[in-house]
Amino acid sequence: MDDPVVKLENVWKIFGERSAEAMKAVREEGLTKPEVLERFRCVVGVQDASFEVARGEIFCIMGLSGSGKSTLVRHVNRLIEPTAGKIEILGQDVSAISASELRRIRAQQIGMVFQHMALLPHRSVRDNVAYPLEIRKVPKSKRWAISDHALGLVDLTGYEDRLPRELSGGMQQRVGIARALASDPEILLMDEPFSALDPLIRLQLQDQFKALVAQLKKTTLFITHDLDEAIRIGHRIAIMKDGVIVQIGTPEDIVMNPTDDYVREFVQGISKLKLVKAHSIMEPMESFKGSLDTAPRADEGADLDQLIDLAVGTDLPVVITQDNRDIGIVTKPRLLRGIQGGKDE
Amino acid sequence: MSDASTEMKVTAASDIEVDRDALDQSIKDFVGPNGDYYVDAFHTIHDSTGVFPKTFNIAAALVGPVWASSRAIWGMFWSFLILEIIAWVQIGRGLWGNLGADFLARADQQRERMQERLDQAAAAADDETRQRFETLAENMQRAIDQNLERAEAAQAEGVSILLMGLALLLVFKLAQGIYANIAYEKQYSRWRIDPEGTESGRSTTNLVLGLVLAALIAPLIIYKFTVSNSLALLDEFPERQVSEMVLGDGGGTLFGAVASWMEARIDAAATAGGDVFDGIVAGVRTVLDGLTLALNGSPWPVVMLVIAVTAYRAAGPRVAIFTVAAMAYTALLGYWALAMETVALVGAAVILCVIIGIPLGVWFGKSQRAYRMAEPVLDLMQTLPAFVYLIPIIAFFGTGNPPGILATIIFGMPPVIRLTALGMRGVPESIKEAAVAFGASKWQLLKDVEIPLALPSIMAGVNQTILMCLSMVVIISLIGGGGLGQEILEALQFAAKGPGLLGGFAILFLAMVMDRVVQGAFKRADQK
Repeated sequence: MDDPVVKLENVWKIFGERSAEAMKAVREEGLTKPEVLERFRCVVGVQDASFEVARGEIFCIMGLSGSGKSTLVRHVNRLIEPTAGKIEILGQDVSAISASELRRIRAQQIGMVFQHMALLPHRSVRDNVAYPLEIRKVPKSKRWAISDHALGLVDLTGYEDRLPRELSGGMQQRVGIARALASDPEILLMDEPFSALDPLIRLQLQDQFKALVAQLKKTTLFITHDLDEAIRIGHRIAIMKDGVIVQIGTPEDIVMNPTDDYVREFVQGISKLKLVKAHSIMEPMESFKGSLDTAPRADEGADLDQLIDLAVGTDLPVVITQDNRDIGIVTKPRLLRGIQGGKDE
Repeated sequence: MSDASTEMKVTAASDIEVDRDALDQSIKDFVGPNGDYYVDAFHTIHDSTGVFPKTFNIAAALVGPVWASSRAIWGMFWSFLILEIIAWVQIGRGLWGNLGADFLARADQQRERMQERLDQAAAAADDETRQRFETLAENMQRAIDQNLERAEAAQAEGVSILLMGLALLLVFKLAQGIYANIAYEKQYSRWRIDPEGTESGRSTTNLVLGLVLAALIAPLIIYKFTVSNSLALLDEFPERQVSEMVLGDGGGTLFGAVASWMEARIDAAATAGGDVFDGIVAGVRTVLDGLTLALNGSPWPVVMLVIAVTAYRAAGPRVAIFTVAAMAYTALLGYWALAMETVALVGAAVILCVIIGIPLGVWFGKSQRAYRMAEPVLDLMQTLPAFVYLIPIIAFFGTGNPPGILATIIFGMPPVIRLTALGMRGVPESIKEAAVAFGASKWQLLKDVEIPLALPSIMAGVNQTILMCLSMVVIISLIGGGGLGQEILEALQFAAKGPGLLGGFAILFLAMVMDRVVQGAFKRADQK
């Protein structure tokens, strides 16, 4: 695996006039959030966050409002300056670079999509999408061509000369996505892009977005407060609570092995059928005494849904294979527990 | 989640009992001394369904405003203090006021003159003259009798005035008795919402304050209105005596001293900064000369054509027709050159307002601190009557058109500054953040996002500035500003009704054309 595209190391953000003092006190005395608030009148926004995002990965940051997820992601393009910690983009430490270099990185390497679209109301859709290019002083003919291409990617061909207010919410957000893609950035920052849309449009856009990113191979940080969305879109999910990253893992990881009650409560209502794979609920071959020759077989990557289909036709357990080699079995009790989300009987 | 302990008991509204104990304690906390009485009174008020709850506060009725002050109900204190004083003045007039004084004084004078006539009659040489004087004296006697009668009637009225005063006093006392508890209960409701900011209980400080206020105000007013020749000291502030005390005998007045000191300061400042002020005047004159050359130097058909076409392009055919009619009016009545001079004056002022005001507005929109510091100055610029700053403007900049433009700027610039700042602050943070996230520099943010989004507000500010500058046209003619304003000023000086009205209409048309054209242009820009 090559170097991570985005890398955060022990990033802290403390808001308030005396943030530096507060940071020092936290380091030396290990103050808690309420203590910092009381002693320095400072709010801890992000607490010691570290993670890496690999090339082409969709990394979801999930948390409720006020959990610091938007604050955290704004450190990546330094819309917010960290109080402490290190942020690397494509191997470059962004906290050390000059203002003009930062602007260049923002314009070329990072595209951002916002919850409230944040389109310029006085510019046409095309000029909105072309704005990041205009900032980089790309000539008009070129940026119009790029802009029209980006609008094509999000199925908005034919709307180039409209004003944003003439478009529906879902279409406006697609303009926002096209704008983020226009400068062909390495990294996409998505700040709750679909939260303000109604559920059907949201589903549509999620699928469209996922396909698009897979096709364009963009490294994506995706903020959401909706676990379903995180599971649907993300390769990995970080769960934040009160400024702390509580757990980082694949959707399956999070659902099957929640680290604490907070995460457990979150994942309770999530349907595991498409999420949990055979290898995470299988037992060793030895636990079944008897012949498995006639038992149905499934790959270790098969999900619960597929396992159920196989299990209903037989009394035997389902044998799980890896490269056509039997590696384990899934009995009916295990399968039922798996659907519930628990592992143990 | 539904264990028995958290279950809510549902009760019909009619069965809900009033929990007196908690309320009573809260009322007692609020009232302080005499708690039980007010608990009962407030209960009566709370239970009452009519307009006037049946409560009567005897203490409030007896001592009136003093009760209100001791309970810190200051609104009631002031209103009933004034009402009671009115009643007491009536009583005072009825009791010791010399109601017939005027008539008696007149009768005395007439009696003297009658005596003169009688003396003349006695000294007369012939019958005819004596008879004439006696007739005059008789007439005089009749007038005296009349005046005495009137005086008596006025005196007799004293009783009815006294009775009316007593009746008023009784009514006011009753009103206070009835209203006191209601007002106090309202105070209590306020106190429940804002216990820090509402006074509660009975405080000695308030009682003493109320007593002192009543003792100072009431006797002086009653004395002044019931005694016919009261002390001169009460009629006029003794500023001369105070001046003498401060400056010594023959030291002049305080006013004179301060005024001459200020005059010297201003003269010194005007001399010291002469070059700067001359430079400002020269700058303003350059702008004005350019506009005057364009409007009055160009052949009039060209100017008229350009104005008409501009009106048509900017605001449509109806405004264009009105513009042509207005131009015909000014031209036919011989106001053309003057009108163009006025347009140049207003135009120069507006241009300078915009050039200075928009950058200031942008700055104030971005920096909250700068805006807080500038706000009092802006308020002053708008509220200070123009006549007040015309004088220092003459001192520093002399007279004529450029100083007039400067006076116009002082009055006309605040709206464009304010509305620019308002527009800048109204630009959504999210859109600004987006532009920054895409790498916009500060200048790009300003040029591409903030100014375009603030533009409707800025244009509203410019339009207001134009109208305010127009309203100064007549005033600046006082310090030598030309144009139509001067015409009006001359008409005013000679009370020339015809010329004044004709000139006034010319200014009115000018203002309407400018307003319509500018608004039309802005509306079109808005729709784009």
